[in-house]
Amino acid sequence: MPDRWTVVVGVKQVPDEDDVSINPDTGTLDRADAAAILNRPDRNALEAALELKDEVDARVVAMTMGPPMASPVLETAVAMGCDDAVLVTDRAFGGSDTWPTSLALAETANYLDADVVVCGEETTDSSTGQVPPGIAAHNGWAQLTYAEGVEALPEEDQLAARRDVEGGYERVVADLPVVVAVAYGENEPRPAGLHRKIYAETEFEPAQVDADDLGIDEDAVGLAASPTQVGGMETVEPVDRERERVDTAAELTERLAEEGVV
Amino acid sequence: MATVDVSEHADVWVFVEEHDGDVAGVSWELLAQGRTLADELGEDLVALVIGEDVADVGREAVERGADRALVADDPVFEPYRADPYGEQFRHLVEQRKPDVVLIGGTHTGRDFAGRVAVPAHAGLTADCTELGIDEDGHLEARRPAFGGNVLATIKCERHRPQMATVRAGVFEPAAPDPERDGEVERVDVVVNEADTLTAVLERSVGETVDITAADRVVAAGGGTDGELDPVLDLADALDAELAASRKAVDEGWVGHDRQVGQTGKTVRPELYVAVGISGAVQHVEGMNDSDVVVAINDDPNAPIFDHADYGIVGDLFEVCPALADRLRDADDPQEVIA
Ligand SMILES: Cc1cc2nc3c(=O)[nH]c(=O)nc-3n(C[C@H](O)[C@H](O)[C@H](O)COP(=O)(O)OP(=O)(O)OC[C@H]3O[C@@H](n4cnc5c(N)ncnc54)[C@H](O)[C@@H]3O)c2cc1C
Repeated sequence: MPDRWTVVVGVKQVPDEDDVSINPDTGTLDRADAAAILNRPDRNALEAALELKDEVDARVVAMTMGPPMASPVLETAVAMGCDDAVLVTDRAFGGSDTWPTSLALAETANYLDADVVVCGEETTDSSTGQVPPGIAAHNGWAQLTYAEGVEALPEEDQLAARRDVEGGYERVVADLPVVVAVAYGENEPRPAGLHRKIYAETEFEPAQVDADDLGIDEDAVGLAASPTQVGGMETVEPVDRERERVDTAAELTERLAEEGVV
Repeated sequence: MATVDVSEHADVWVFVEEHDGDVAGVSWELLAQGRTLADELGEDLVALVIGEDVADVGREAVERGADRALVADDPVFEPYRADPYGEQFRHLVEQRKPDVVLIGGTHTGRDFAGRVAVPAHAGLTADCTELGIDEDGHLEARRPAFGGNVLATIKCERHRPQMATVRAGVFEPAAPDPERDGEVERVDVVVNEADTLTAVLERSVGETVDITAADRVVAAGGGTDGELDPVLDLADALDAELAASRKAVDEGWVGHDRQVGQTGKTVRPELYVAVGISGAVQHVEGMNDSDVVVAINDDPNAPIFDHADYGIVGDLFEVCPALADRLRDADDPQEVIA
């Protein structure tokens, strides 16, 4: 195992979910105006990765898969303190569901000689949470999902994490290489330093890799290699609520009695 | 890309999640829904039980509707770890070729499902809230997207098995029938402890509660600042179950099993009271099916008011006690006469 760990952090650009709205007149989805932001749970992933850097002097590289337009999230990652960043981009990846996406990211992790891959719990746009276990499965690596705290054990080439589980928690130790999905909100992401910010915005250029660089057969990714297809989208009528403001507890109790629920 | 012969695949499998013999409630919910799907497809319903000393769990799965329970029984499976579970599952899928596989949307279920769909090259849909069969016999998995504003239908026509994780609380659990016939089959264990990649050092799990069955729910949010007494008092006055937003759970004020929302449970009570909860999309998704929603929040612009029937703008530390008193008075016959 290596003297110095390479920690690769997966990040993604998503539409700000607070901006995605339903047009009440047409009943259609308005996401065009939604600002593109760094998936919020990925900030926790970046913080966890940078804590490993502080702890064991790991080299931290951010990766994102997407069009060149997606690279501002890499700038954010570098501004926070990542040493480097890679944009995984190829037309062949277009239309990928979680199976080919995790293949491409698994191969990127191999390409970067990752010892640890850190991801957010899930993305706020598709919220499957399937990519981190998918990366681990493609490479036959260990996985630690819903990780609340990560502890490096460099002497043993292992990583331990406290995992959130229904009704409690568990502590699990995994052999490297390992994929960690950090539970959303479990640490305080550090702000970007001013100098790093300027560097990320002005000097830094992410490296780019495509399917060929990663040794991925074009037929193994994209829409054709995606087992799932979206068969339809129905807008759901928002639940019709009374939206009545009441002023006092007495008034509320009265209403609830009228509704027959108290 | 190699595609599979989908006609070779049959049967609806339900992963019965158990920890130390305790079965996650969502597993029995899935067994009920799996029964419906299997009947519609004219296939068998198979319970997949992985653990140590789990023959009883297999038998209970039969009583609750499975035609057969496949039991992988070995110390390597206790407690749960993604890699040995995933390996055992992959082996069974290759050997027995299931058509549909349903898994609970718990942390364990989502950890496991994400791991097994890759080696099986299966289509996996996350966190479904509706499951059906289309006219060609494919699974239609529906899940809310964009904060519940859209229901997306996901299909997997060319790959098998068709896998889905399903949120807790959306289906009624299957009731046991001790008379029911079915087979409990022990399967070969293909995993060795020496090959595992992880070790569980410590596991601390308390009693879990089921908020999904409650008729009334009072949920605490970030606005409580961890001071839950007023919320508990209101829940007591209403004879309601305590629930929480993710904020309150992440802060450690309330247990995860009481979390409502996208990454928690779906509740459908007659009355839902959101106390000091802002109304983020991920929260609203889990309570939108409640009959009557009440919001108590000191910010008149909090989004929760758009998703509530009755809203009180005010400090929860004043409103909750006043409401609890009022409700207790209303219970008091003297007061009614007066
Ligand atoms: C991937 C992902 C998954 C998520 N899953 C879930 C989920 O399943 N469930 C969930 O709930 N959230 C979920 N969230 C989190 C969600 O986005 C919100 O952060 C969370 O719901 C906020 O909780 P809250 O409203 O209780 O707290 P806050 O956002 O802190 O809001 C507190 C509210 O209380 C009000 N308040 C403050 N003081 C008082 C007072 N004294 N009296 C009255 N009102 C007061 C404030 O005005 C505010 O509206 C998820 C987020 C992500 C990214």
